[in-house]
Amino acid sequence: MAIAEPVARRALRTTSRRKTRNLERKASVAAASLFGVVTLAALLAPVLSPDNPLMPAGAPLLGPGKGGFLLGSDSIGRDVLSRVLYGMRTSWFAALGVIALGLLIGGVIGLVAGATGGWVDNVLMRITDAFLALPAPVLAIAVVAALGPSLLHTLVAVSIVWWPFYARIVRGEIRNLAARPHVEAAKLAGAGRLRIAVRHLLPGAVPAALVTASLDIGNLVLTLAGLSFLGLGQSAPAAELGADTARNLSFLLQDWWVPVMPGIGVLVLAFIGNIAGDGVRNLIEPD
Amino acid sequence: MHLAFGPAAEKTVTDPGASTSEAQAIEVASIEDLHVTFRRSGKDIAALRGVSLDIRRGEILGLVGESGSGKSVLGLALLGLLDARADVRGAVRVAGRDMAHCDQSARREVRRVHLGAVFQDPMTSLNPTMRVGRQVAEVAGSKDEAERLLGAVGIPDPASRMDAFPHELSGGLRQRVMIAMAVAGNPDLIVADEPTTALDVTVQAQVLTLLRSLRDEIGCSVLLITHDLGCAAQVADRVAVMYAGRLAELGSSAEVLARASHPYTLALLRSRLSLASDRTTSLLALPGEVPNPAAPEPGCAFAPRCDLAGPACLDAPPPPLEVRPGHLSACVVPAVEVTSRLAEVVRAAVVPHPEREPHNDDVVTLYRVQKSFRVGAGRTTRRLQALRGVNLTVGRGESVALVGESGSGKSTLLRIVAGLESFDGGKLEVAGPDCPQMVFQDAGASLTPWLTVGEIIGERLRGISRAERAAKVAQALAHVGLPAEVAKAKSAQLSGGQRQRVSLARATVVAPSILLCDEPTSALDVSLAASVINLIGGLRRELGMSVLFVTHDLSVARVVADRIAVMYLGRIVEVGDADQITSQPVHPYTQALMSAVPDMGREPVALRGEPASPLAPPAGCAFHSRCPKAIDDCGDALLDVRLTAVDRSAHHLAACIRATA
Amino acid sequence: MSALLAKRLGAIVMISIALAGVLFYLQKISPLDPVHARLGGQASASAVAAERHRLGLDRPEFTQFVDYVRGAVHGDLGDSYRTRRPVSTDLRAYLPATAELALSGLLIAMVLGVLLAFATTLRWKASSVLRPVLLLGASTPTFLLGIAGILLFYSKLHWLPATGRSSLADVPGGPTGLITVDALLHGRFDVFWDAVQHLIMPATAIALGPAVAIARVLRSSLVSDQRSDYARTARAKGLSEPAILIKHVLRNCVGAALSMTGLQVGLMFAGVLVIEQVFSWPGIGQYVAQSIPVADFPAISGVTLLLGVGYVVINTVVDLLQAVADPRIKV
Ligand SMILES: Nc1ncnc2c1ncn2[C@@H]1O[C@H](COP(=O)(O)OP(=O)(O)OP(=O)(O)O)[C@@H](O)[C@H]1O
Ligand code: SF4
Ligand code: SF4
Ligand SMILES: [Mg+2]
Repeated sequence: MAIAEPVARRALRTTSRRKTRNLERKASVAAASLFGVVTLAALLAPVLSPDNPLMPAGAPLLGPGKGGFLLGSDSIGRDVLSRVLYGMRTSWFAALGVIALGLLIGGVIGLVAGATGGWVDNVLMRITDAFLALPAPVLAIAVVAALGPSLLHTLVAVSIVWWPFYARIVRGEIRNLAARPHVEAAKLAGAGRLRIAVRHLLPGAVPAALVTASLDIGNLVLTLAGLSFLGLGQSAPAAELGADTARNLSFLLQDWWVPVMPGIGVLVLAFIGNIAGDGVRNLIEPD
Repeated sequence: MHLAFGPAAEKTVTDPGASTSEAQAIEVASIEDLHVTFRRSGKDIAALRGVSLDIRRGEILGLVGESGSGKSVLGLALLGLLDARADVRGAVRVAGRDMAHCDQSARREVRRVHLGAVFQDPMTSLNPTMRVGRQVAEVAGSKDEAERLLGAVGIPDPASRMDAFPHELSGGLRQRVMIAMAVAGNPDLIVADEPTTALDVTVQAQVLTLLRSLRDEIGCSVLLITHDLGCAAQVADRVAVMYAGRLAELGSSAEVLARASHPYTLALLRSRLSLASDRTTSLLALPGEVPNPAAPEPGCAFAPRCDLAGPACLDAPPPPLEVRPGHLSACVVPAVEVTSRLAEVVRAAVVPHPEREPHNDDVVTLYRVQKSFRVGAGRTTRRLQALRGVNLTVGRGESVALVGESGSGKSTLLRIVAGLESFDGGKLEVAGPDCPQMVFQDAGASLTPWLTVGEIIGERLRGISRAERAAKVAQALAHVGLPAEVAKAKSAQLSGGQRQRVSLARATVVAPSILLCDEPTSALDVSLAASVINLIGGLRRELGMSVLFVTHDLSVARVVADRIAVMYLGRIVEVGDADQITSQPVHPYTQALMSAVPDMGREPVALRGEPASPLAPPAGCAFHSRCPKAIDDCGDALLDVRLTAVDRSAHHLAACIRATA
Repeated sequence: MSALLAKRLGAIVMISIALAGVLFYLQKISPLDPVHARLGGQASASAVAAERHRLGLDRPEFTQFVDYVRGAVHGDLGDSYRTRRPVSTDLRAYLPATAELALSGLLIAMVLGVLLAFATTLRWKASSVLRPVLLLGASTPTFLLGIAGILLFYSKLHWLPATGRSSLADVPGGPTGLITVDALLHGRFDVFWDAVQHLIMPATAIALGPAVAIARVLRSSLVSDQRSDYARTARAKGLSEPAILIKHVLRNCVGAALSMTGLQVGLMFAGVLVIEQVFSWPGIGQYVAQSIPVADFPAISGVTLLLGVGYVVINTVVDLLQAVADPRIKV
């Protein structure tokens, strides 16, 4: 037929881009894989810890390196390193849990609002905005105060104030995508609402949500540590980073390592989280 | 055998008999063997590959080329604004400085004193948070001078516009502000990169006329960068045609038009649509794709698409040589031979359209269709009247073009027919069984980025087996001239032309009764547009579809459509056979559109003003604020101009109380 | 402008009422019974009933809510279980210290954020070192910054004090309660300087994280606007790079930086509560810390309401500033 003109003389462009730019990419992959490394380490914390974090293992208040305590011992002779490792494990899983819950709730609400539009969008976003208009950590304090202090309650409280952020991001992405002609083209091709939402909208919002989530882990580690510092976490003997610093503040001037080491644990975790988050962002949104 | 083509040689060519010192006074800028290479994601992009060009004092030089041919890079090189990471060889001399290599402060000085610039999109090119008066005064030196300039570029009531922010001005006024900044301080040279591309047709003509009159007034030179040969030829004194980072042809406008010598220029002229294009045969499309700057051809870059290409073309890029005094062409085949040999090729390629049997049933009927949108929120809500009562029919197998400026409501009408938009009043009938299909202006955006072409096309084929579906997809791709492997690609891996073909394949894999086209060629290069138009015409005849084709370009409408409907502010103001409309338009607006179509060797005729706002359509005949024929009655609020028959022909209707041919 | 203002004021009221509703509901689902919290476990049944009646707990829930909101508007936030004083009286005593700390922190965060953004955008010499330092700064918990500061500047160098707001006995009691401001109003520069010394460490500790966040946002919008079309136009006019940055780009970028500042205020409040513990700062953080272990819900909900309304007000101011900076925002 005459319509079939010879077009593809230079057929499809090959994606040989991948070969180049490898150094930056490798660095980003390495950074992003820190998420896996830390999660693995957190799982293995019981194996990695030299001592039981709850039991005295030697003389109290020994400095770092003394008496076999790499990071020293606390006021009743417990190994600070073990307590920090266990604390980091708790922090990490707590942060992951809140992020996962936030992504799930925020993602669903954002998708429904963005894909449906109209009054559904309006109502859902008003609710989301009301939550966003309040200072999240302060609200979390009130929730925990009402429910009574416990780690679970803190996580519930933080999740309640954390999802609106994701709902906003996902909804924004979905609205942008929904305005693209490809959605109308799919409509004309006979795709139904659900199919459009799941196949033509959702995949486009995943990268932005993932980037946001991975950049958010550091923040969350810090926020949870702050709440724990204020006493909104596990109760006394349990190893928890913020609380361990708060309870041992009085030792600061003589036995600095007791309050400082847990703080450094938070720092390390948040720093790794931020580096890994940057890595994920560079992988998903190069430049 | 080919001599390197240096600047000295060109001077003697362009100004026979002029001494070197005189020649220096004559040019305001000279580019000598300029090479520019970018590095992007590890690949070398050869944007310019040896260009030598002089810009003479007081001339308008039109620089024409397809996207990626390097014309913007050339303009930025003149301004000394190339990315610092670009690799630049050769020289760009402006006011005694080499803008490619001298230090930043010297470049700044040259830009400040000797150069002016106008860029494509005046919305993004003006600072959105600074009052336009201040932006102009920044170059003009004082507020008074700024105000004088705003007046000089034709901005009505400049004193009150000084305090406006860019978003408070219309597109045409914004571009005038850009021009005021460019001419401030009487520069020697203005670099205008596609200054009219983002504007409406009638406003385009105004801006081109303005540029020319300013040149006449202050005697500066203008480098007019454009992708439209017609637009360049219309206002420029000389035209330079670029292809793949090199000069293909250079000469005076008249000379290049009348005696084009390079096969690429000839192909552009042939595939370019004008009001004189032959409607009875398919268009002479340029085959192939625009060249890939990451993989330049070793020989003539045009060779893969050239009908005359031979072994001699593949060794080295041919240098521009003089074919007549002042007229250069970069082709190994002698100019005389080019024209005669191409004429034969062309004769062989012409395919006449088969006769179409007359239609008698209608596929789409619109009766007094109205549509308004709510804009703004709360107390500032206003109604934007997009359609104000539209009557139109499209017959089975017929092709109808909707023509109008932006905001006239043509896309809204199309989307209502597609069922993508509801309407407020009137009646719409679309013949079944299946819903209309549509191709969009931005083909890339109409393909879901993360799905493969096969999945996208296959979406219309549900309820059949995988193998059957794959076979049908391959067949549809073959129909639009794409190999079956394309089914595995995602849209980002395709070129612009390929994407538009894929969206046509999706629309026709199951033939719809009507195909809706929303400016499907306006984002494509001239050489690709013709082949897409041919393809749409071919599919339509083969599949017996009707076509409703939206375009702002009457010359495109003329070749794609049997009938043309012209829209202004939500109403059809004239409708009739394509030939009638384009040869004897009766409505003053259609007449204005016709004269605004940029064409070679014709003065642009500018309609005054810009399209009125659909938020507040003028009373009476909505066109009366701009109409050259308007009389007092036209603005009467009680006047309701209806479409009425012209010359008792049921086919040709116009809505004007003074409609006469 | 006035329309926007009215709208934003309306929003403040709506959100404050919504917050009051949330707090009221939290009180209802809380397993702690307010009557028991007040009277202790052994109170007689009649005493409990009388107290229920006094607190209005025997009335319909909606009426209770309306009363609660009405009370809050008039400054009645209920009585603290712990101090037995009205919460509003307690807050009035603690608020000035916290306000002084938070406002100084905000100021430092904004100034530092803008400086860091410019340093990294203009590629000053130190800026390549700056990026990892910024990342580290953004990853450090407030309390660690605080105690590290105490160890270094107090314990080791003896440069700065580690506790309280002032070490002088005769601090003038002024109209605002902010020692720095009051000292200036009374012309007491010695008091002012002393107060500033006390403020430096805690304020910087809470400001560092927000400063980095502001700097990042501002930097990325400066960098992307430097590549924008209008910056190219300014370049074509012959303007120099610093002139382009300051005259053209900056105003287009303040919006992004401002909205980030608004967001960071919420995190900063949490930082204030924490850092007050570290520096024994006599502010709301102390009050919260003492209230949490005894589950003094009225106290905590009072604090939440106060900080929540403060946050909303600050963000409204931020929105209005954005509208001033960007003429495209419809007012
Ligand atoms: N800053 C840059 N970095 C990398 N590549 C660039 C840059 N600027 C231009 N290019 C590339 O150089 C080539 C020539 O670009 P140029 O913009 O001059 O084309 P053009 O003729 O103006 O096209 P259009 O009609 O699309 O404006 C293109 O392949 C383009 O992608
Ligand atoms: S040099 Fe050869 S390929 Fe190039 S335009 Fe001339 S004939 Fe065609
Ligand atoms: S009715 Fe009047 S204003 Fe309208 S087009 Fe005709 S002459 Fe012009
Ligand atoms: Mg260009």
